[in-house]
Amino acid sequence: MMALAGGLNRKETERLSALLSFPAKSAMGILGLGALTAGALLLHLNLATVGPLYFLSIVLVALHWGFWQATVVSAVAVLCECYFFIPPVYSFDVADEQGYLALIVFEFSALLVSRLSAREQSNARDADAQRRSMGMLYELSRRTLQLDLHQPPGPQLLRLVKEIFAVDAVAIFDSDLDTIDVFGPFPLDANEMARSTCYFEVNQDHDDLDLSRRVLRLGTAPIGALLIGGRLNPLTADAIASMVSITFDRYRSFASETKAAAAHQSEQLRTTVLDGLAHAFKTPLTAIRTASSGLIELGDLKPAHADLAALIDEQAVLLNSMTSRLLQTARLEAGQVSLKKQMIAIADLIEEVAAEQSGKLGDHPLQISISDKSLATRGDRELLAAIVTQFVDNAAKYSTPGSSIKISAQESASEVLIAVHNKGSLIRQQDRERIFERFYRCPETRHQAPGTGIGLSIAKKAAEVHNGHVWVISDEQEGTTFFLSILGSKGEVIDRAHL
Amino acid sequence: MTVPTYKILIVDDEASIRRGLRSTLNGLGFESAEAARGEEALSLVRTSRFDAVLLDLNMPGIGGVETCRRIRRNSPRLPILVISVTDSEDGKVEALDAGADDYITKPFSVKELMARLRAAVRRAQMPEEKQDAVITIGDIELHPTRRLVLKSGQPVHLTPKQFDLLRFLMCHSGRPVPHERLLKFVWGNEYQGELEYLRTFMSQIRKKIEDDPANPKYLLTDAYVGYRFCEA
Repeated sequence: MMALAGGLNRKETERLSALLSFPAKSAMGILGLGALTAGALLLHLNLATVGPLYFLSIVLVALHWGFWQATVVSAVAVLCECYFFIPPVYSFDVADEQGYLALIVFEFSALLVSRLSAREQSNARDADAQRRSMGMLYELSRRTLQLDLHQPPGPQLLRLVKEIFAVDAVAIFDSDLDTIDVFGPFPLDANEMARSTCYFEVNQDHDDLDLSRRVLRLGTAPIGALLIGGRLNPLTADAIASMVSITFDRYRSFASETKAAAAHQSEQLRTTVLDGLAHAFKTPLTAIRTASSGLIELGDLKPAHADLAALIDEQAVLLNSMTSRLLQTARLEAGQVSLKKQMIAIADLIEEVAAEQSGKLGDHPLQISISDKSLATRGDRELLAAIVTQFVDNAAKYSTPGSSIKISAQESASEVLIAVHNKGSLIRQQDRERIFERFYRCPETRHQAPGTGIGLSIAKKAAEVHNGHVWVISDEQEGTTFFLSILGSKGEVIDRAHL
Repeated sequence: MTVPTYKILIVDDEASIRRGLRSTLNGLGFESAEAARGEEALSLVRTSRFDAVLLDLNMPGIGGVETCRRIRRNSPRLPILVISVTDSEDGKVEALDAGADDYITKPFSVKELMARLRAAVRRAQMPEEKQDAVITIGDIELHPTRRLVLKSGQPVHLTPKQFDLLRFLMCHSGRPVPHERLLKFVWGNEYQGELEYLRTFMSQIRKKIEDDPANPKYLLTDAYVGYRFCEA
């Protein structure tokens, strides 16, 4: 309330000073006019000379004091001219129509010129105010560019608006961070007013309260609010609001860029650490395996010793494969794998994987069905083979004992679809995405076969770096099928002319 | 069974690996010597006689590949078996090009290492075959001068390029031959890198000489490195 009273007091004072100056200035103008009349009477000047002198004084009053003062002075001038100079003199009577006409023309011209001069004066004042406000806006834009974007922009912008525009109060609300920064007294609760400005999208200038409310927008979406207490051109308030919005936007882009860079850096660090660890693991692993397999090879061990040596050997192999896979997935995730892209005949790729895996399939017969021998793709052979190998390995581990594993390849639109099917090993709906996450293993099957939970995550990453996709469907009756889809390159089949 | 006493040079910068290898080799009746760096290995090779070298690739100093190249320059018939880590396929190929006879990936099983080592030593001790001699491996017989291949006594029809490839591989039986070397041999420099040609040819040859081309017995794939014809 104090603030409200303060605001009204100032307005009253201004109005009072304007009221006081009007009669004072008018009186001064009338006095000046009296002096001019007295001088003219002493010098015996005639109507033709006095008329322009009166005219000139009215213009001067209009230029310096304003239109209404000039109007008062012009009325007095008409009376003086009528009384002292238009015959019959020393009387307000006018002898003929010419005299009336002269008076009317004089008064009309005086009013017109006064009006024009006053308007000119007011325009000049406006232009000056505009120039000053342009200067301040320029200063604001220059200094917003120098803001520290590592810190929240609200308090910094608040300080700038306060300093540059010398306003009574400023409040900036950031709806994203849900913070409000307030400086100076507001007639109402600034926090509530700022929030309602943003949520109800109110852009308003309250002349009675000397308050401007502006919504801060990014495109069309409201992102905050700006309240300015004090006399400010509405256009200037609009410009300040735009500048604050732009700075908010810059802060957000900078923050997300910084975050992305930090994430990339930490991923790189993780990969470097993993890389180093993986290599550091290889040496002790090699020594352990040399020792364990050496013991077995030397023979002459008691059955229990041989069993223990075999256990050490197996676990060293498992640890090694985990280390290698972990390293591979970390590199794929960090985008550090340089793809050795080449044309690959799908039939050859599948045959090669099948040949390599043939010893590890146990009692599962392998069937291969390829719809078109000329199916081909462009990609990194090693990575694509790793995907199919992983699918086959999974099938061999989890399928119903004795059931067959089917690998098929076919063309689907412009893509090549490779599928590995097996009976059994139902994967629950909620696990079908998650099994491609690193270290995730289905609770039902995790004890069924040894595994690390890394293989399928490698398959997913390897497919992604080829702009491909992997997924699984699983059904009690139909069994489980893993799919890989990648872009086909049938047009570039291998030139068999050299055969 | 009497095992001939071979003398093996172990070159690795990691003491724990040298120790493991030394104990195992000695236990198996081999003699061994050790070097922690390539330079040391070179001076040992110059002063003593070895039957084979086990050479780590990743070592400080001149490194494994350069050591391999220099040993090969001085001792053309000394078997060199390279030991490398899993993810350095390029390093393996480089070592094979520098004259290594075979490679084995860390961590390896001693059983596999012994098999490779014995095969390499045996090959080195065999008298050098004449270019035109008939090569017989399993039930495959190759007659270079007649350009004829027999499988269990039955002639196999091969195109001229298929024949050249098979002969090259059979001449180097038991040893991995990198893709690039095969491509260069059969098509000359211009086709290096066109691996798909080679895969197509190998699959064609397999269909003609293997009983089950999907599970080859003779013409084996050395993943990411090349091909190997199985040993006699």
